[in-house]
Amino acid sequence: MQARKKLIFSLSSLVLLWILISLASIFIGTYDINPIRAILSGNELAKTIYFKIRIPRILMASIAGGTLALAGAGLQALFRNPLASPFTLGVSGGASLGALLAIRIGLANGILGFSAVSVFSFLFSIFTIFFVYSISKLRGVVATGRLLLAGVVVNFFYSAIILFLQFFSDLTQPLQTMRWIMGSLDIVGFDTVWKTLFFVIPGCLILLSMTKDMNLYSLGDDVASSLGVNVNMMEKKIYFATSLAASAVISVTGPIGFVGLIIPHILRMILGVDNRIIIPCSFLLGASFLTAMDTISRTIISPVEIPVGIITAAFGGGFFLWLLMKTKKEVIV
Amino acid sequence: MEKIIEGQNIHFSYDGVEVIKGVNLSIAQGTIVGLLGANGVGKSTLLKVLTGILSTKHGKILYKSRELKYLPKREMSKRIAYVPQSPTFGFPFTVSEIIKMGRAPYLGRFEFENDRDNEIAFQAMETVGITHLQDRLVSEISGGEKQLASFARALAQEPELMVLDEPATFLDVKHKTEILRLLLKLKKERNISIIAATHDVFSSLFFFDRLIILKDGEILAEGTCDQVLTDDTLSKAYNIGVTVRREDGKIFVFPAETNRELAPTLR
Repeated sequence: MQARKKLIFSLSSLVLLWILISLASIFIGTYDINPIRAILSGNELAKTIYFKIRIPRILMASIAGGTLALAGAGLQALFRNPLASPFTLGVSGGASLGALLAIRIGLANGILGFSAVSVFSFLFSIFTIFFVYSISKLRGVVATGRLLLAGVVVNFFYSAIILFLQFFSDLTQPLQTMRWIMGSLDIVGFDTVWKTLFFVIPGCLILLSMTKDMNLYSLGDDVASSLGVNVNMMEKKIYFATSLAASAVISVTGPIGFVGLIIPHILRMILGVDNRIIIPCSFLLGASFLTAMDTISRTIISPVEIPVGIITAAFGGGFFLWLLMKTKKEVIV
Repeated sequence: MEKIIEGQNIHFSYDGVEVIKGVNLSIAQGTIVGLLGANGVGKSTLLKVLTGILSTKHGKILYKSRELKYLPKREMSKRIAYVPQSPTFGFPFTVSEIIKMGRAPYLGRFEFENDRDNEIAFQAMETVGITHLQDRLVSEISGGEKQLASFARALAQEPELMVLDEPATFLDVKHKTEILRLLLKLKKERNISIIAATHDVFSSLFFFDRLIILKDGEILAEGTCDQVLTDDTLSKAYNIGVTVRREDGKIFVFPAETNRELAPTLR
């Protein structure tokens, strides 16, 4: 199939999938009343649940899942390596340490309407990204091998600090931190959604505008350059766009792992590796995936809510392993 | 004859180590030029400077009398195609996807290949003889086939100048001959100019209109095959005694210490 037809077909199927999953997610929950009837009857509780809790939460799940998957696909193109994700670059470690510090210091007041935990984790992950980036530079050029290694090592270093601080704190704080690290989409109202979008939209648009160059880039720096790509500029743009978007999401939801890794993989197994198709589709499938996982996490043993990070790892990981074993095609280099 | 590309006093350094030390060269339009020299003398670097992949502060590159650095990258990539020594593909694209990437310079940011682009890509595969591979993944084909795919991608760019870095390294005798024949055909039918770095030219030197021999970042000799291929020049170039023989219009080059003489000492 021609790339364009393939893109249109997969995009429309994925939009449909997202709509179906979101609708299902609105209807399913601990509070089980037909929303249309409830809202028409002027039930205040129903209104609150649907408009303050469920719909914002579905949007947040979609934004978070979509962004993490898109960022993963972008970083994989950047590293020419299907194992790259925001987490391999130290973003999660930085975010977690930032959150822990905010909890530890006991900052109650937010800044500019963001909670202190979010602000700290955002700042820390951005700082980590700059740090990792600057030590990965050799002769003004980012050495991708160095970058991956630096990211992994920084993550370990952060987790040492996190464990150290945890060890010396009273009982409630480690629990609170642990809970944050597990990841959650528990938000109230649309406020957080808009604020996250403020950072996510520019990041995602930059990535979506570079899909053709990402393809050429996979032919190596020299060939990409000979085909008209400004390689240096492109590397920087991908790096900062993914960092900005992913940090913004993680600072709100906590590190929800795995989405950025498996969603692009699953798509490549089905659709091939053309980034013009994989990048936009990653957003939609990531959005659907996290929305579905979040719905499971809040209903599977309702009224108790399991942290969504556990569900994504369990379901996503299981599904991914199954796909890996089933697919004989050499899609993973 | 009109020059397609000209390098004036090119210098290039990696980390302060000068690799190219003041090279002057020019390629006449519609000719095939061979770039010879031992390993590490700067052949690949020189080719990358000529294509604009590496930019140099010292020296000028003129493309049809216009300075290359003022030519927008996109325009450059419609005119000059580069084939690397060992092509990499990063992800398992299909062969035809790779060839279509050669059309990228002609497409807008969000534009997909149209029927004409697909046609040109298919013709490039036909010319190189790899249409049977078009739906295969590049991770599944052989090294030689990868090189042919990379060559076809370069052809799809519809270039005026092709810069080839050891285009035949991974090719067997048959494919090597076919590629060389193809280069002659491209030159003749499409007036494409070609510069190719090569090691294994001893069997194929007569394909080249001119030869440039590089040593330690400088030009050691330049001229037609007859002018350049002498015992003396090649011995200097490779730091080993070399004997050149001519027979029936063919050129044979071999090390002066032939295997037979060497063999007893190794035994």
